[in-house]
Amino acid sequence: MKMRFKAVAAALLATVSLHGVAAAETVLRLDEVPVGELDPAKASDYADSILMFNLYDTLVIPKAGQPGFDPFLATGWETDGKSYTFKLRTDVKFQSGNPLTADDVVFSFQRMQALGQGLSYLFTDVEKAEAIDAATVKFTMKQLYAPFIAALSRLPVIDKKLVAENLGAGDGEMKDWGQAYLSTHAAGSGAYKVVSHNPQEETVMAKNAGYFLGLAPKAPDTVRFRYGLEAATVRTLISQGEHDISSSWLPPEVLKSLAADGAQLLQEKGTTGFYIKLNTAKAPFDDVECRLAVSYAFDYDTGVRMVGVTDTVSQGSPSTGAIPVGMLGALPADQVTKRDVEKAKEHLAKCKYKPEEMKVDLSWIGEVPLEERFALLMQANFAEIGIKAEVKKLPWALFVEQISKPENTPAVSQVFVNTMSADPDTLLYGMYHSSSAGTWMSPEYLKDKDVDALLEKGRTTTDEAERAKIYTDLNLRLREIAPTIFAQDQTAVFAASNRVSVPALSDPSKAYALAGFGFTFRLMEMKE
Amino acid sequence: MSPLIRLLAKRLGTSVIVLIGVSLLIFAIARVIPGDPARIALGPNATTEAVAALRGKLHLDAPFLTQYGYFIADLFRGDLGLSLYTNRPVMADIAQFLPATLELVIVSGIMMVAIGLPLGILSARRRGSWVDHTVRLVTLLGVSAPAFVWAVVLMLCFSYFIKIFPIAGRISDTFSIPSVTGFLLVDTLLAGDIKAFGNAVWHVILPAFALALSGIGQAARLVRSNMVETYDKPYIEMAEAYGFPEKRIARRYALRPSLIPSLTIIGLDFAAMLGSAFLVEAVYAWPGLSRYGVAVILRKDLNAIVGTVLVISAVFLIVNLIVDLLVSILNPRIRLSQRAS
Repeated sequence: MKMRFKAVAAALLATVSLHGVAAAETVLRLDEVPVGELDPAKASDYADSILMFNLYDTLVIPKAGQPGFDPFLATGWETDGKSYTFKLRTDVKFQSGNPLTADDVVFSFQRMQALGQGLSYLFTDVEKAEAIDAATVKFTMKQLYAPFIAALSRLPVIDKKLVAENLGAGDGEMKDWGQAYLSTHAAGSGAYKVVSHNPQEETVMAKNAGYFLGLAPKAPDTVRFRYGLEAATVRTLISQGEHDISSSWLPPEVLKSLAADGAQLLQEKGTTGFYIKLNTAKAPFDDVECRLAVSYAFDYDTGVRMVGVTDTVSQGSPSTGAIPVGMLGALPADQVTKRDVEKAKEHLAKCKYKPEEMKVDLSWIGEVPLEERFALLMQANFAEIGIKAEVKKLPWALFVEQISKPENTPAVSQVFVNTMSADPDTLLYGMYHSSSAGTWMSPEYLKDKDVDALLEKGRTTTDEAERAKIYTDLNLRLREIAPTIFAQDQTAVFAASNRVSVPALSDPSKAYALAGFGFTFRLMEMKE
Repeated sequence: MSPLIRLLAKRLGTSVIVLIGVSLLIFAIARVIPGDPARIALGPNATTEAVAALRGKLHLDAPFLTQYGYFIADLFRGDLGLSLYTNRPVMADIAQFLPATLELVIVSGIMMVAIGLPLGILSARRRGSWVDHTVRLVTLLGVSAPAFVWAVVLMLCFSYFIKIFPIAGRISDTFSIPSVTGFLLVDTLLAGDIKAFGNAVWHVILPAFALALSGIGQAARLVRSNMVETYDKPYIEMAEAYGFPEKRIARRYALRPSLIPSLTIIGLDFAAMLGSAFLVEAVYAWPGLSRYGVAVILRKDLNAIVGTVLVISAVFLIVNLIVDLLVSILNPRIRLSQRAS
């Protein structure tokens, strides 16, 4: 009798404990700047990318801890350089229950092209996409385009049938291409599904139980992705255990104080550079000697110290050129750009403009207060070699308008640029090819035949080793003609509570070279 | 026609004219802000064709008055256009965000009246005493620092160091309340969920108090100075000479005339909180219209800018109308002047 009672009690206890475990839903809370764009064809910034990588899947994903891509929705691909044929997995279903087929891939591509927004520019060299059969899709290029596989990491596959059932008002067969529907709903096969979405407040997501790869039990059950939290609010929320991962936009001082309180610091490297761009279309930076003078005058070490968080973590690391260290074609980390005031003075002496004649406006983007510190640093550095400069604050909208004409473009502009597809082409072509001049990425207005030739060769060369050599040569050429002060490689630093483990942002061997991909929730683990 | 109705009709007429003026002005100003709204909305890498198509859809290439004509025609259909910031109809955005701001501002307004007026009265009745000096000092602090400073200070004091109030949001994540009116304090009651109501109250206290502090200080100081002035009037002296109790003198003869100028300022303060709520909303992650308004200005979202400003102006005018009516009820001379005119 006593034994039976013990057995019953033990069983009851076990049931209660199991129930307790099952009921303990894990919630991950993180934030980014608004607005959270759900429509994957319009996704372009960090918040959009995080949503896209979790709600949708792509044919390929970046390899962990190294450059290159692995098949994902595809089982593999064949290419002759001008066309790519992908075999698709046949066990993937959308969250709606519809099977994922080649038609969906073609539709997703056509939709992105038709809307012409977000990252559609990555596919301008694609002539057409066609479904060979339900599990085979073929992309044909207009010309050789080596970065295509990388670009596919930004082509989320959308449920065509579901979108077709929810078309809004518009012209033609596809009406609005489901824009109204997809701004509030997801139609993907991703590991997470949308529970609610308020583009200014938060998107709540939950695990997709039918995910084709299955989901780790420790992956967060619910994700609350918040938008537009102030630094002071995030600081307090994390300290009180009410928030898990901050955005990377917190000032270094706030990150430092959170780290001092015991928060872990997650890092994403090798995807973004901080570029100080010199307008090569007007005096004084139309003279390469003047450009080299200010490049040598800039205090790179102080710049890195300015964004230091702790003794070992910083929001920036020394740059070796136009390509962040670790990416294809980057120069090794021991070849960093350094300050040399004597060399700066030598180049300045060779410049056709006298320092006292120079009119240099140092602009910084009003929405990025950190840039003001760099503008002031440059002002002091340039003054040391006799160049007087004026610091000018520009709101982003005004900056974008001004740089559309070289004569209105400030002498010095500061921007952060990331690769978007982990390939150096998407980073450099838009910045330095002469046909790309006059965008927010290219206020240099650079016209250099060698640079153009290397950029074009990089696009059409399919051999990886050869491509790496081309981009290294390009990097060296850019250092030689200095259209830009390569201030630093940016490290995105996120403060996080210790409730969550994010291998992709804490272990370099599991890191991805694609901005935002580290926030794949299915790869995270909640500790309670 | 009763003087009150005449006053109401007159004020409504001028309000409509003001709204038309505001709409024209903000419509013009929004178009002067630098940047191409279509380019900003579609992103820096959007194709030229996509940008041109959106410009056409928004009539941005049409002359100013033609654009205004389209806007007015849509407005009469109850359509404020599409927000390029959220990709949703502006009406839907305003319907979602306005109740949150109104709820915050109304609670702040109640605090302003419930705390500011008694403090002012107390200070005036105890003029020259330590109570008076303390109230004047404390209210001076309230007036001298902007709301966002108080928002951060209060958050640090009462959410971080002493964990009494929540840090952000309108309600805890554990509650799921269906939105009926958008006012959480009302919706929780409609849902019959007292616990959720308590939670929503608990969330609104700190941001509302931060927003109200300046108004509380102003109301208290204004009521005090007006009452002190009134206390020097001959009819108060006469009441005192007749031996009326001090409480009665204060309530009946000193407070009522003192309330008239105070009420006008409190009304203006209340309406001004709609605009100044932005930073408090930002600090407390309060999903309101003020925060939305600033976000759409930064992104040059033309339809949303005009819609938001119009709605805030309309609320401002309604509050002023209510204040005018209250003042005319309190002050018979205004009612009589309407009759005479």
